[in-house]
Amino acid sequence: MTTMAVGSSLLTDLLSAPRPAEWASLREAAELRLAGRQLPATRDEDWKYTDLKALAAGAFGAAPKAAVDISGHLLPEMVGTRQVFVNGHHAPHASCASAVPAGVRYFPMSHASEACHALGSVGNGAAKGLFEDLNTARFEDGAVILVPKNLKVALPLHLLFVTKAESPVAVFPRLLVVLERGAELELVEEHHGEGPYLSCPVVEVHVAEGAVLRHERVQRESPEAFHLATLRAEVGKGGQYHSRTLSFGARLSRQEPRVRLAEGAEATLDGLALLDGTQIADTHSFLHHAEPGAISRQLHKCIVDGRARAIFNGQVLVAKGAQGTDAQQQSRNLLLSEAARVDTKPQLEIYADDVKCSHGAAVGQLDPEELFYLQSRGMNADDARNLLTYGFAADVLTHVPVASLRRSLRQLVMARTQAGSLGDLA
Amino acid sequence: MLSIKNLTASINGTPVLKGIDLEIKAGEIHAIMGPNGSGKSTLGKVLVGHPAYEVTGGEVLYEGRNLFELAADERARAGLFMGFQHPIEVPGVSNAAFLRLAYNKKAEAEGRDELDPLEFDDFIHEKIKLVSMKEEFLDRSLNEGFSGGEKKRNEILQMAVLEPKLAILDELDSGLDIDALRVLGEAVNKLQRPDRALLIITHFPRILETIQPQFVHVLSGGRILKSAGKELATELEDRGYDWVLEEAAAGGAR
Repeated sequence: MTTMAVGSSLLTDLLSAPRPAEWASLREAAELRLAGRQLPATRDEDWKYTDLKALAAGAFGAAPKAAVDISGHLLPEMVGTRQVFVNGHHAPHASCASAVPAGVRYFPMSHASEACHALGSVGNGAAKGLFEDLNTARFEDGAVILVPKNLKVALPLHLLFVTKAESPVAVFPRLLVVLERGAELELVEEHHGEGPYLSCPVVEVHVAEGAVLRHERVQRESPEAFHLATLRAEVGKGGQYHSRTLSFGARLSRQEPRVRLAEGAEATLDGLALLDGTQIADTHSFLHHAEPGAISRQLHKCIVDGRARAIFNGQVLVAKGAQGTDAQQQSRNLLLSEAARVDTKPQLEIYADDVKCSHGAAVGQLDPEELFYLQSRGMNADDARNLLTYGFAADVLTHVPVASLRRSLRQLVMARTQAGSLGDLA
Repeated sequence: MLSIKNLTASINGTPVLKGIDLEIKAGEIHAIMGPNGSGKSTLGKVLVGHPAYEVTGGEVLYEGRNLFELAADERARAGLFMGFQHPIEVPGVSNAAFLRLAYNKKAEAEGRDELDPLEFDDFIHEKIKLVSMKEEFLDRSLNEGFSGGEKKRNEILQMAVLEPKLAILDELDSGLDIDALRVLGEAVNKLQRPDRALLIITHFPRILETIQPQFVHVLSGGRILKSAGKELATELEDRGYDWVLEEAAAGGAR
């Protein structure tokens, strides 16, 4: 079959790049698992709506070191807490971590390999995804963040993964976050770039007992890019992991967050995808209530215009014995054109009997009552529609903790929802 | 200002208004009272152009113009306003941004200068004092998670921002405690001027102690059964609605 042959050649090409020296055993294991594998096809249930043919047809070379101008992406609250990676390599001149409090370890992995012993261990035992293994086999560098016991970090940390490609390249951003018992951290992880490329980020998160991580993830990749991301988080007893994943860019993107909750842990897994043209954005999430008394909240919103397509598959697994689980999932989708499409599927598997689980999915147009309310205040129908569309998306941004980031994201949403003509709503 | 003649309207094919006649002149305050389900709210919503209702007959002139030739947003920009019984929540849109947008759309229509965010900030801080609203409600999403009372406060704030010529206030007192009702009632009184008019829709006469109407109408079964001065409100408070309905039935039978 043609697709398979091309797919295999993509993997072979990517793996033909030299294997970086560090973490040899991790990389060997990943390569072993990749041997003989092919790119997923749409006959795979997990990739039914996300066709990788266009990816398979590409030839992605190794990404060279490059200089980029990041001045447009600096945020005042985080000027001294920034690590920048360009084409997978650490960019020391663009980075500045001088304001990071003592005790926090926040380095490129290439400078602190001794701090990375947890690398590859999150979600151990669970089958690794193909793009996750590709990352492990070939990532050049990445960031490691270690917050020691009971340290509450006041300033948010800013991580920028930038790709600059003239001809197609593949990059493998990597991030390891370890919060020791009682530690607290806010982290902003941004991906953006120019040109044609494949980015396969892998993020591993350990939140120990009682620790709290707030994680903002912003995907603003180039319109020619493929972005296939994996996130694994393990949340210890009473710990909290709150994340918000905002997908604006890339021709094709996929988010695979996989979160395991220990007893009494809490997780938020919110998402927003704003799509137009022929963009595809896929979220396959997995929330594992492994122990009793954990709470999860998931609100996933998509606004789909043009001939774009959004996919949401939200799996929630409540393990046997995970009594007192409280899980809520909402998938809400707004279609702005006839040809736009959303496929949404909640997937609850519950093996405990004393649980509170709810899920809901809605696909549709704007609410006529809301439209009328705005019109009754003097806004014409177009303005009312644009304002509500903006609000539908901006709702997910209300609690973004960093003010300048919240403002810039709202402005981005304004530009993408034609709400710009309404003046400054940010 | 407003002249309603033999107005009939229905929702999903069911008639709700069955021939309403009402004249409201500038400077007047009218109260429409009546039992639940009588069509009071429908009358207000029909006047401001709610899409769920179909006007099936009659005529409404607003400042000499056929009201039904105007879309809902045009009516609003022409000075018509309704404070709703159940205001809608709009997540993601900050109250302040919404109020500024609404203000500027109206200013634009009237050929007045629009306000930039800083100018509007000064303007709105005067207005929130009028309704005793806490500043934090400006930064929150429009009505989202507001209590019933806070939503009503926000409706009157919108009225204060838009300064309508004709304001229809639907069940303003529901969800309000006595103190909040007095504050909002007094705010409405301050906004009333000789060139403006008010139509108060209410089941309970309580609110009419603060906002005192010159005219009280009892609406039931989609018709105005009785119109009188403000003493009618006191009588309704003492005796309820049944006697008006009985009187009307007797009158109809005669």
